[in-house]
Amino acid sequence: MLLFRSGETVNEWCAAHNIPRRPLINLEQLWQLAVRWYANRLTIESRRPVPDEMVTIFASLGLTGPFWDPKADQWK
Amino acid sequence: MPELDLDTKVKLAIYEITAETGRVPNSADVARKIDPPTRRYGATRVDEEEVLGAFGRLHTKRLLLPEPGDPRRIRMAPPFSGVPTSFPVEGNGKQYYANCVWDAYGIGAALHCDAISRAKDAHTGEPLTLEVKDGAPILKSYVAHFAVPAAHWWDNLIFT
Repeated sequence: MLLFRSGETVNEWCAAHNIPRRPLINLEQLWQLAVRWYANRLTIESRRPVPDEMVTIFASLGLTGPFWDPKADQWK
Repeated sequence: MPELDLDTKVKLAIYEITAETGRVPNSADVARKIDPPTRRYGATRVDEEEVLGAFGRLHTKRLLLPEPGDPRRIRMAPPFSGVPTSFPVEGNGKQYYANCVWDAYGIGAALHCDAISRAKDAHTGEPLTLEVKDGAPILKSYVAHFAVPAAHWWDNLIFT
């Protein structure tokens, strides 16, 4: 997950590395993801969100669709 | 308060050491943190092998990634990186390393502190700064690109 000044430099990077362009998110969305994922990480009860929780978190930030669906993830 | 299970003690020790020192600990560091030798008259009640077992279980729960080829070291205890990366983060007077741009914000979120990451545009190398102050990001028009779909993030977390 990399940082870019703009969508233009993302396009140039994708072309240079022959990698398809994927969704972009802005810094407000990124901060909200960080808070939802990590705000309690140093506490006793902390854990990684499970797939259904991930879907809810992503959807609350407008991130929907197959790219943001972790259901195929091998969860144990 | 009930006694914590070993995995929770190990998890907390990893994050406490990292937060206090800026360095992600290895299994020996964690064993000493949980059961300091001075308290045990030179003996260590929780030995390193038990900590290694906990590392494996925490990996299964996706709370850490051992260093490939060396399970005594931790490559990632998200949002912290066990090795230097392109996302250094200053906070609480210490320097940490984040695994990716998401985690660069994640360190400020996890430590609940002001934080600044002097990162770069991944294509041009232009310096780009991410800053968190008083619990909120200083917003700029930068963007993050996720090259890998969510379902495959743990296939190769180092690349993701």
